[in-house]
Amino acid sequence: MCEEKDLLVSFLYDDLGNADRARFEHHLRRCTECRDELHALQGVRADLTAWAPPASELGFRIVQDPKVVALTPRRAEWRGWWTPAAGLAAAAVLVLAAASAIAHVEIHRGPDGVTVRTGWNSAPAATVAAEAPAATAVQPVAAMSVEPRRGADEAATLAAIEARLRALESSHDSAVRAASALSARASDAELIRRVRDMLTVSESKEHAEMALRVAQLNRDFDAQRTADLQRIQSSFARMNANFDADALAHRELANYVASSTKQK
Amino acid sequence: MASTDEELVARSRGGDLDSFNQLVVRWERPIYALAYRTIGREEDARDVCQETFLRAFRALKGFKGEAKFSSWLYRITLNLCRDWVRRERRQPIAQAPEGVDLIELASEQTPSETIEDLVARNEISEAVARAMATLPDDQRTAIVLKEYHGLTFQEIADMLDCPLSTVKTRLYQGLTVLRRQLDREGVGKARW
Repeated sequence: MCEEKDLLVSFLYDDLGNADRARFEHHLRRCTECRDELHALQGVRADLTAWAPPASELGFRIVQDPKVVALTPRRAEWRGWWTPAAGLAAAAVLVLAAASAIAHVEIHRGPDGVTVRTGWNSAPAATVAAEAPAATAVQPVAAMSVEPRRGADEAATLAAIEARLRALESSHDSAVRAASALSARASDAELIRRVRDMLTVSESKEHAEMALRVAQLNRDFDAQRTADLQRIQSSFARMNANFDADALAHRELANYVASSTKQK
Repeated sequence: MASTDEELVARSRGGDLDSFNQLVVRWERPIYALAYRTIGREEDARDVCQETFLRAFRALKGFKGEAKFSSWLYRITLNLCRDWVRRERRQPIAQAPEGVDLIELASEQTPSETIEDLVARNEISEAVARAMATLPDDQRTAIVLKEYHGLTFQEIADMLDCPLSTVKTRLYQGLTVLRRQLDREGVGKARW
């Protein structure tokens, strides 16, 4: 068996340098085995060209998943609208709670009307006065000495609380306004993004439809061509048959004429 | 003027989806053909083709351009085909239609080809598909990459991670087996 298979393959695919090609051509002139094999493999290569994959509709296209695109902004929109406003409201409530805790606000409804009291200093006395009416009998002086101071303090602290509440309300309002402005901006961007996504989806649909139509046209055209071809072939066949029949009739007529002439 | 693969890859890496889709349009047929000739099933070949581009898209950031984009795609495709064979635990099967559909055949017909030529070509095609299915994977892959995708010996060697001489040996052995198989089926005898 010849050992030049490596060169044979390279020669088969025209992948040899000049020197190697010349050397192998020289070898081919002397080696019948390699010559026959080369010829056979060239034949195999020719047969391989007949193998084609079935025509398949591909038309792949990478697109951003519309579901994902639609879902993500929707979440963002919800967050944009809800989160800052609700968060700020919750924060405001917390601040209020903390402020009232620090100020130690106490509200009492008594025979003198509603009493609002703040501050830790007066707390024990107030607690005693409120929760243990019996104790007032035990410590009437203390209770009485506390009350006037409590009245003056109450007016001041009430005003302070009102001011704080107003400040908190105004800050809350401005925060809400800022939040709604932000959410409006977010919703605009969201809208633009959605429209863009819809356009993309619609474009890709149009492309796909166009490709399908073109493929259909091609198929129709090919089918028509095949039918025409077959019709032409059958017409030729018919013409040939007619021609053959005519020729036969002519031949028979000629024979008849010839034979009758001979008889005469 | 059409952009080169490298230009489209660069733009795709920058987030341009349209550029990547141009690469898909350019390479989907060869990739589908490679997958089909490797696994022999149209539907699965389409799936492999689609998956190839999805993987390529996801891994685009990691593609450094050391190899050609097409070689990179081919490698992804071959890996997916290998996974398919392993997953399905079966050999590639050459699908041959039961009857000859002249209309379908005619769509592949060249203007100078008669119906008889077309039918003969279809028979050869089926015989080649059957013969290819009998080849070991490595020989079939080498032949497909060389014959149908025109890769150089060196490109095939790089793609399959084997020496150049191994590629030539696989080609020689594969072609020899095909010759025997086709001979047995009586295809192309007249040529020899």
